[in-house]
Amino acid sequence: MSTHFDATLDVKGAKCPMPLVKSRKAIGDLPVGHVLQVIATDRGSIADFQGWATTAKNIRLIAQETTAEGGQDLYVHYLERTA
Amino acid sequence: MTDLSLMPAPAATAAPAAVAPLTTAPAAPAVAPAVVTAAVTAAELYAKLLADAPLLIVDVRNPAEFARMRIEGREALDVLNIPYYAFIEDEDDAAAPIPTDREVVVVCAKEGSSEYVAELLAARGMAVSYLAGGFPAWGNHVDVRDVAAGAWGKVIQIARPARGDLSFVVVSDGAAAVIDPLRHTAVYHDTIAAAGASLAVVLDTHVHADHISGGPALAAATGAPYHVHAYDAIHPIDMLPATIPYTSLDDGQTFPIGAVTVTAHWFPGHTLGQFNFRLDAPDGTSALFTGDGIFLRSFGRPDLGGKGEAWTPLLYESLTERLPAIVHPHTLILPAHFSALDEAGADGVFSAPYAAVAATNDALRHRDLAEFTAYVLGHLPVFPPEYVQIKRVNIGLLEAGEQLADELELGKNICALSE
Repeated sequence: MSTHFDATLDVKGAKCPMPLVKSRKAIGDLPVGHVLQVIATDRGSIADFQGWATTAKNIRLIAQETTAEGGQDLYVHYLERTA
Repeated sequence: MTDLSLMPAPAATAAPAAVAPLTTAPAAPAVAPAVVTAAVTAAELYAKLLADAPLLIVDVRNPAEFARMRIEGREALDVLNIPYYAFIEDEDDAAAPIPTDREVVVVCAKEGSSEYVAELLAARGMAVSYLAGGFPAWGNHVDVRDVAAGAWGKVIQIARPARGDLSFVVVSDGAAAVIDPLRHTAVYHDTIAAAGASLAVVLDTHVHADHISGGPALAAATGAPYHVHAYDAIHPIDMLPATIPYTSLDDGQTFPIGAVTVTAHWFPGHTLGQFNFRLDAPDGTSALFTGDGIFLRSFGRPDLGGKGEAWTPLLYESLTERLPAIVHPHTLILPAHFSALDEAGADGVFSAPYAAVAATNDALRHRDLAEFTAYVLGHLPVFPPEYVQIKRVNIGLLEAGEQLADELELGKNICALSE
């Protein structure tokens, strides 16, 4: 399964709160309707991105995936800027 | 106005990068000096909670984590759950519910987000610190203090406050007993060594459902025997026997520990093999390690073995007949759990003489068996599904590494009837 995205943000190795801080900034730089892919290694990002998307004003969480790369779990989030 | 001479010398390889921004940075508008927030350790936080300091905890974890387990205090503590991402989304909005005149401690899942939010709040003029090590530091914090002492030795309470778990070390004349030890055993080794004693016996009042016992590990490390009753060494749901080494208990069996004697008393109800252990010291000091038999304000629920209907009458007999027969009015009741921090005095000790417990514990109010059964059935909290798993771990039917053990022990114990 592949989800369409327009830009990607690599926050591998970044610890909380930085994945979210950087995602907030990156999505603010995208046009409305575009999708940001965020690649994180922090397992807590799954629940945190879900919570963030429910409270944020202009973000929709389209999908979340867990994959692995070199023995490390990756948590991939797809966020659409809605306004 | 930065005095560079006070800054630590950068490593040689980093020097160019560190210097460059200073020489090229444009003149920034004058800003307030960098805000410094302090980290508070779990031990410092616990001392403030026990002293009932009027703290405001701002818990910035997500709501699901907050719902599973939160920091609880006595009267004066207030807790707000404002996820850290709310501050990233709209700082003014997120900070609005926080009074500016309170001492604030920010808490998060690890540490980074609480430090981040603490700095935002400090910049807004608040008195704020953050919990070092995040929630795991609180969850694993262990508190050690004396309960009773005399020429014979002492009883030491070892608590894991986040979960409401209590365990005990008895030391007397170079010998030690550990009762209901918790999973991480280093504190018992340290406490016994500090008292100049060696471990004579490890006693579990019962096979616990809410936390993983440190008993088998302590026994394996020291060669001391590990005692738990054989009834509890059969998993009540699986009906499979324990694979760990243990020695059963006899009703009335005594264990000499230096100058004191510990006597085992069968106390079925919470589990079929639940025992209480009474300590008698030469000076008349008497204490009853009740496990999950009776707590200071409640008693152990009889349904965690899946046999609540069969075990409730046993529990009734234990509370109404067995308990009065094995205590004096001054016997200190020392349970394996507390439900609320105000069950401790300001000294952090969770104990009360039996006479006080009998007078104040509503769960002990006189009832006939039918009334008692109705009371029990009306006050059963949820049955956490992981409790079946924990019992498997405790008798060796399931291996749990550190991560699984941490997950099984999430949240506070739910061993007592609800109030």
